[in-house]
Amino acid sequence: MMRLVHGISYIAYIWWAIITGSATIVSRLFLPGRQYAQPMIVEVPLRCVTDLEVSLFASSITITPGTLVAAIAAGTSTQPPVLFVHALFDDSEESALEGLYDMESRLLAMTRGRAPTAAANTVTEVEQEEGRP
Amino acid sequence: MNDAVAITLVGVFGITGSLLMLFSAIAMFRVRDALSRINVFSPATGLGMPLIVAAAYVYDLHAEGFSWGSLLMAVVAVLCLIIVSSVGSNTLSRASVLSGQPVYRKTVPNRLASPPAGAVDEDPDAPKEPEEPTGRS
Repeated sequence: MMRLVHGISYIAYIWWAIITGSATIVSRLFLPGRQYAQPMIVEVPLRCVTDLEVSLFASSITITPGTLVAAIAAGTSTQPPVLFVHALFDDSEESALEGLYDMESRLLAMTRGRAPTAAANTVTEVEQEEGRP
Repeated sequence: MNDAVAITLVGVFGITGSLLMLFSAIAMFRVRDALSRINVFSPATGLGMPLIVAAAYVYDLHAEGFSWGSLLMAVVAVLCLIIVSSVGSNTLSRASVLSGQPVYRKTVPNRLASPPAGAVDEDPDAPKEPEEPTGRS
């Protein structure tokens, strides 16, 4: 029952994201004097586990105007699967990741019946663990 | 449904959908690389074409009356447009990345540019150094 409620709210959320994203792309055309887009490719470690969750999340990201899945890395025994998302209109990497994790929480609430409690590792934490610059 | 409401709805849906297609096409000229062009085209496929389908359905509803067949066709058309557009954009972007299309140089941060930890990325054309003896045979 909760999954049905979460599913309906998720579909409404996706529709709202499509509408606001399209409005962003169109309205930026008529704002001269500033850069049209600020492209970035961010790395999103996933909390999704099953194939269904990962593919639903990737499709949801891609159908939202302004974000696009550019590559998918499979998970290993120590690392979660990773999506590389091309984002156009976000101010910073943190705000882009925040929006994506919000969408992922809603998606997992739909597939699992409740939202996950543990927060995913941020990119900086993952990099510190791996010793990458 | 009277004439005025039907005509207004068809006009609003159809013209909004067509304008979204046009603005997506213009936006494709404002960005600089293949990934961004795939990205800014999604309003046309995600919102513009479903709106045009909605306009066609309202016109059909007004002209020929309600029928379950046309409602089913409209719903299936909208769902398929969204799913196919999403999967198609995924495939296009993946193909563009894997075929080595250049990414716009002002793309910061570019997390795809740094190799993942533990990846061995050797230059096969580099001059070979004498091999060190290893424990393995």
